[in-house]
Parts: sequence; C-alpha cells; structure tokens
Amino acid sequence: MTILSAPPALSADPSPRRSAAAPKKRRRIALRLLALVVLYGLWELAARTTRNPTFIPSPGAVWHQLIQTSTTHDGVRGYSGSLLIEHLGISLRRILIGSVIGVAGGLVLGVLMGVISWLRVVTEPVVTFVRALPPLAYFSLFIIWFGIDETPKLWLLSIAALPPVAVATAAAVQGAPTGLVEAARALGAGRWEVVRDVTLPNALPEIFTGVRLAVGMAYSSVVAAETINGVPGIGGMVRDAQRYSQTDVVVLGLFAIGLSGLLIDALLRTAENRLIPWRGRA
Amino acid sequence: MSSADAIKLADVEHRYGDVTAVGPVDLTVPSGEFLVLVGASGCGKSTLLRLIAGFEEPTFGTVHTSGSPPVPGRGAGLVFQQPRLFPWRSVGGNIALALKYAGQSASTADVELLLERVGLHDVARRRTWQISGGQQQRVAIARALAVDNPLLLLDEPFAALDALTRERLQEDLRTVSATRTCVFVTHSVDEAVFLGSRVVVLTPRPGRVALDLPIDLPRTGITPDELRGLPEFAALRAEVGAAVRSRTEVTA
Ligand SMILES: Nc1ncnc2c1ncn2[C@@H]1O[C@H](COP(=O)(O)OP(=O)(O)OP(=O)(O)O)[C@@H](O)[C@H]1O
Ligand SMILES: [Mg+2]
Repeated sequence: MTILSAPPALSADPSPRRSAAAPKKRRRIALRLLALVVLYGLWELAARTTRNPTFIPSPGAVWHQLIQTSTTHDGVRGYSGSLLIEHLGISLRRILIGSVIGVAGGLVLGVLMGVISWLRVVTEPVVTFVRALPPLAYFSLFIIWFGIDETPKLWLLSIAALPPVAVATAAAVQGAPTGLVEAARALGAGRWEVVRDVTLPNALPEIFTGVRLAVGMAYSSVVAAETINGVPGIGGMVRDAQRYSQTDVVVLGLFAIGLSGLLIDALLRTAENRLIPWRGRA
Repeated sequence: MSSADAIKLADVEHRYGDVTAVGPVDLTVPSGEFLVLVGASGCGKSTLLRLIAGFEEPTFGTVHTSGSPPVPGRGAGLVFQQPRLFPWRSVGGNIALALKYAGQSASTADVELLLERVGLHDVARRRTWQISGGQQQRVAIARALAVDNPLLLLDEPFAALDALTRERLQEDLRTVSATRTCVFVTHSVDEAVFLGSRVVVLTPRPGRVALDLPIDLPRTGITPDELRGLPEFAALRAEVGAAVRSRTEVTA
C-alpha cells in the first residue's frame, strides 16, 4: 500500500515558479488512474473468486464481447444483427432527438412561466408532478397511445428532459437582476426586448445547468425506453442479453452507456464555458 | 405649465415604506438648463433622478417631463450611479444595443466613435469585466450619450474617475449638454459650479430644496482654467460649499 501513501505528482515538480494548478491537476489525474487500477483489480479478483461468469463476468470476457459485438464473426453481425457502435449510435440518436425536443419545449415553457405569472401558477404543479414521476411510469401510457415503434420512445425522452429545463429556466427568468433590467429599459427596451437581451442571457448559465440535467434524464431513461422493441439500441441490447443471461454483454452495454454519458457531459461543459464566458460575472 | 419646461416636479414626495426619502419638492427645470443636484449621502438625490426618469412613482405630487409623466427610455438618457453594463455583451456590444433600440445604425465605426468620445480606445471587443471600474463608468456614459435625447440624467457619473479624465469628460459634457437639458448629481462643489447653469442643494433626508442658485458664468469662449480662475467662480463655489456644509452638519 505504499502507492496510496505517496502523492507521486506533487513531489516530482522541479520548477518552483510553475503555478500551483499544474501539480494539483497532475495529482488528480494520478489519483483517478490509481482508482481505475484498483477497481479493475477488485473486479478481476471478484470474478476469479466467485467463478460464476453469469454472476460476475471477468474483465477478459467483457473485452471478448466488445470484440465480438464490434465485428462480424461466423456470419453473425455484432449483436442481434447490429454492431455495438450501431446500437449505441441509435440510442444516442434517440437521446439527441428527445433532448432537443425536451429542451426546446422546456425553454419555451420556462420563459413563459417566468414571465407570465398566471401561467406559472397554472403549470407549476403539473411540471413538478411530471418531474416526480419515474419515466417508466408514463411509458406504459405512451405505448398504449403511440404503439411500440420510435414515437413512444421519443415522447418518453422528451417528457423526461422537459421538466428540469422548464424549472431551471422559470426560476432564472424570474430572478432577473433589477439593475440590468432598468438599464435596458432606460435605453428604450420594450418588455420582450428586456426578455431577449437581459432576462434570457442572464438566465443562460442556469438554463445550461438545466440542459445538462435534462440530457442526464434522457440518458437514464433511454434504457427504460428500449425495454420494449428496443433492438437495435443499447438498452435493447442490454435487455436481450439479460434475457439470455449474457452477463458479459450486459456489463459491456453498461460501460458503453456510462462512458458515452461521461463524454457527452464533458462536451456540454466545454460548450458551456465557450458560450457563457460571463458565468459568475453578472 | 409652460411647454418649455423640460421637467416639472409639483409637491413631490417619495417614500420607501415608512421612510420618506424625498420631499416635498417643487422644481421646474426649463429646457436647456444644466441643473446640478448636491447633497449629503442618502439625502435622496438618486431617488429624485429615478422619479424624473420614470423608474419611481411619486408617493405624493406629480412629475412631468416635456409635459407628460415620464416613461423610462423615452426622451431621456440615464447614467446610473453604478455602470450597469451587460456582462453577456462586449463593451462595444453594450453601446450597439443602445443604438439598436433607437433604430439607428450600429456599425463598428459608430461604436468606436462613441467610445472615443469618452476617451476609450481599443476596448470595444473586450469583456465588460476586463476593463477598470472607471472605464466601465465611461462606457455607461457613452451608452447613455449614444442616442440624442433631449434630456440627460447623470447620477455621480465621474465619481470613480481620476482627476485628469474627470476634467476632460466635464469639458465634453459641457459641449454635448449645450443642446439638451441636463440633471447632474455630484458630491463635488467644484464640479457643480463648473458644470451647472443652476445648482440645487438638498437637505439631508428627506431631501428638500435648501438652496436654489443660478450660476451666471460665461460658458463660451473661455477655457476651463480661465473659468475656474474667475473671482465669480470662487464666490459661487464658496456659497454652495457653505450651504452643503451647514446642511450636512445639521444631521451630524
Ligand atoms: N429601494 C429602497 N428601499 C428602501 N429605502 C431606500 C431605497 N432606495 C433608497 N432608499 C433610502 O432612501 C434614501 C435616499 O436614497 P438615495 O439613494 O436617493 O440617496 P442619495 O442621495 O442618492 O445617496 P448617495 O449620495 O449615497 O448616492 C436613503 O436613506 C436610502 O436608505
Ligand atoms: Mg445616489
């Protein structure tokens, strides 16, 4: 356990004039790598001691499935006729469409809720109600209404993504800073110009947080959405693999969902820093 | 009411809850006048300006600008006590917005010109927090001056500036104010006499008119130094200074 007690990056820095941020960052990266290695070790250990690949598949077995599902072998293309990347791509496409619809709807609803007070009174309980429901709960309803193809899935993801954006937008729009609203009005801005040029840009940082939450909701709902007629789709793949006790494929699917989720959140964070340089300055 | 009156306050009183901030005040400002308001901190100068701008409704009495109740953004340029720049717009973008609302062209050249008028160069593309506090205030002034309003309201606009810039801007303000009615708030007696064609000293809260003094100094064909060197300038400055001091001591 000597590795754990020695912070390797910190002591390795020879230049005293370097900013304190660099060794800190390196230390963080080192810690994360270390955690990964430890987790891997634990997983390998657990797989070897249980000796039951249906319960805990070994890392090697999951790796093997990654190869299998990404190639055509013995005339079988990937898993259930689609490569892993295709399953993932189709799910991501659903997430994208659902998020875009949900975010757009949430944005419009949130602005209206924030600006028109009677509308807020009417819609707030409804939005909070929908937000409290687990997406799977209203999925059944969408199946009855829209059948089992794409439509109910996209509805599910949109409805799951809408409330976080609506709530964040409404709150931020209401909290427009009086000083800047007055400044715009003093320059001759009308009501909607104030909304466009002050209220909305001021709300943007919080809206973006809402968007990240929304994409997260869509992400966590996609597996639910793909439990029915979900192949191709990463959720459908996991669901089928579970039915046939292919635990290694299930774990592979989880990794694919989780890692792509991390990637998308990182992309959103980068976009946020680019698009909202005034964050924390208003 | 004469149509020449740019501002008319009749028996105006303003309260924030139980606190009477201003009044009662009767004040008529003819068109073209440069009125300077002086008074202790908290005596209601900003409140008076906000009443004239239309951001506050008087609790009692009436406020009229050009014969009707004031509406924010109509016919008056306003510089707040704080810069109040929009952080989501660049420095130049803040100016461009003022031009846009007025339906005027907002080209880069137009914006540069307005910024140069307040002594700012090469800042149009910066973010608002990347310039100093004094520079921010100058952007706010440029923003308020972007559109030719008949009325200009300025709340301690030069408080955050160094002496040199302040004197330059005072000079510029005298030029642009020639064709407008101005109400200018300051703590500086020297600035009041230098800029004003009329100085009103307010009492401590609630602010009332303690002294209403016309400033009859030559305004054209004279340099700032010559103006400050006039014996009349010194006499007026002494008079306003005495009024401000006696008024501040009453509360102390
Ligand atoms: N929004 C408000 N709510 C309650 N009281 C207020 C409000 N704005 C101002 N006041 C009070 O009204 C009085 C006058 O305030 P005002 O800002 O007009 O003073 P001022 O003369 O501009 O002062 P300063 O020179 O410090 O800027 C002060 O006593 C202040 O505490
Ligand atoms: Mg004030």
